[in-house]
Amino acid sequence: MKDCCGPGYASPAEAINAPREKLLYTIAIYTGTGIQKPDYLATVDVDPESPTYSEVIHRLDMPGIGDELHHMGWNACSSCHGDSSMSRKFLILPGVRSNNLHIVDTATDPRAPRLHNVIDGAEIKAKADLSGPHTVHCLGSEIIISFLGNAKGEAPGGYLQLDKDFNIVGRWENSMGNIKFGYDFWYQPRHNIMVSSEWAAPNTFMPGFDLEEVGHLKYGRELHFWDFEKKEPVESFYLGEDGLLPLEVKFHHDPDSTHGFCGAALSTNVIHWWKDHDGKWQWEKIIDVENELHPEWPIPLPGVMSALLVSMDDKYLYVNNWLHGDMRQYDITDPHNPKLTGQVFMGGLLGRAPTVNGVEVTGGPQMFQLSLDGRRLYVTTSLFSTWDNQFYPEIREKGGVMVQIDCDPENGGMTISPDFIVDFGKEPNGPSRCHEARYPGGDCTSDIWL
Amino acid sequence: MMLHRVTLSNRNGATYSVNGRRPLLEQLRGQGVDLPYGCEYGGCITCAAKLVAGNIDQRRQIALNNRQIANGYVILCVARATSDITLEIGVESHDNLYRNPFLDPLKPHELKADIATPEEL
Ligand code: FES
Repeated sequence: MKDCCGPGYASPAEAINAPREKLLYTIAIYTGTGIQKPDYLATVDVDPESPTYSEVIHRLDMPGIGDELHHMGWNACSSCHGDSSMSRKFLILPGVRSNNLHIVDTATDPRAPRLHNVIDGAEIKAKADLSGPHTVHCLGSEIIISFLGNAKGEAPGGYLQLDKDFNIVGRWENSMGNIKFGYDFWYQPRHNIMVSSEWAAPNTFMPGFDLEEVGHLKYGRELHFWDFEKKEPVESFYLGEDGLLPLEVKFHHDPDSTHGFCGAALSTNVIHWWKDHDGKWQWEKIIDVENELHPEWPIPLPGVMSALLVSMDDKYLYVNNWLHGDMRQYDITDPHNPKLTGQVFMGGLLGRAPTVNGVEVTGGPQMFQLSLDGRRLYVTTSLFSTWDNQFYPEIREKGGVMVQIDCDPENGGMTISPDFIVDFGKEPNGPSRCHEARYPGGDCTSDIWL
Repeated sequence: MMLHRVTLSNRNGATYSVNGRRPLLEQLRGQGVDLPYGCEYGGCITCAAKLVAGNIDQRRQIALNNRQIANGYVILCVARATSDITLEIGVESHDNLYRNPFLDPLKPHELKADIATPEEL
């Protein structure tokens, strides 16, 4: 990287040509497993030339027990590329249950990240009346984090703003409008737009998933479009039965594009939105995964599409079906007409791939992260401690796994890499569960271009 | 003040003395019992334990549905003892706490208190 520049890359095209990742970070939890140990940040060696390839080479314990680490984000991304005073140095790890924000220095020794400081969850409750942190994005030199509840765990929560030194600025948004729930968000600055999605109140989803509560409107089914500069919602789309539990939202990486995607987890649909020629936001359902019948169960089983991501070249969309057990790749060259180009099974409740590379998989494909060149997709199996315990109770003894799927960005297609598997069932303190992953040099969910 | 005895059946029957005013989580942790917890206001289920004998008051909890309550679960961060009690603690006690909703749906009276309808007899 030229020394004139700040973190990340000048453009998505430049990011695709970055050096291959050699390390990745994933969080691993003991919360809810019965092992009274802290959750931790694991460093995984993904350099095939290294003697410790496909192994956890470092574990950074959090200071307390019971955080439930979940998603994470960087202090800076390509949105600061023009600012040479910034660097992609700190990873922010929220604890969904504890409300603590852990700031981890990954730059001093990338193989062995160290704790920089902790923003106390009680301070956040007191100063901003927020709990249940989820998505972290940087905004130029500042950071915003979605929280799903107020200090008492009631929806809709809001957004916490931190300055670049991790001081609490306060609430980011000027208004939550009529938004009922929070979850994920992504923004596209050239169009002054942010899109946010809906899970549920912390008091609803933390104890586990009562399907019956969906019908009682305790889970979300709307997408919200924000005036990003005014920091307030301007339009909401009611997705109805097609959009039950709209979770992850992603725009195209191309900063000029208005196309974006959301995975509605329970409906197991992909919702696509874009701005039409008249400047109006439109949405449509572009993928609908049918429920499957389990031989012994009374209620048909949805796929549960809990995550989605877009490759850096905006050509492929990757989605999971956590309960069915498959990862899918769609060619979205025409975002209105996705074409299924790849599918692999790993775990799941339908028994299609109980074992991968000699390791019994409990759970199904859940979180995943794609390399900048679009060739390696790293997939983990745990969703959320209480939900894991409902659907995959054996995960308590077996732990989570990380699998690598090799993807073909030229012709489409995916296969499970035979050389890579990380079995978190064999961790030194007992079986833990891995979740979201990030690469120090950037990946396909970390960067936004101004 | 009235004191109650708490017996932990899965900790070799260890006993502790608690009052009926403060939540069980706080009093047991104060006496050195290692217990999981999260929100401490009764909303996240992390601290759930199973009541094997005796009575408690957990009116402030909002994490459990009525089936979990019928199965004996108590939310220690807000529950208070109203008699001598025996508890099974920790995640080991959670064998009946979680269920797959596609395999084993709840009946209307088994939902959480705010949305449950009375059982039809
Ligand atoms: S600690 Fe959250 S319910 Fe008790």
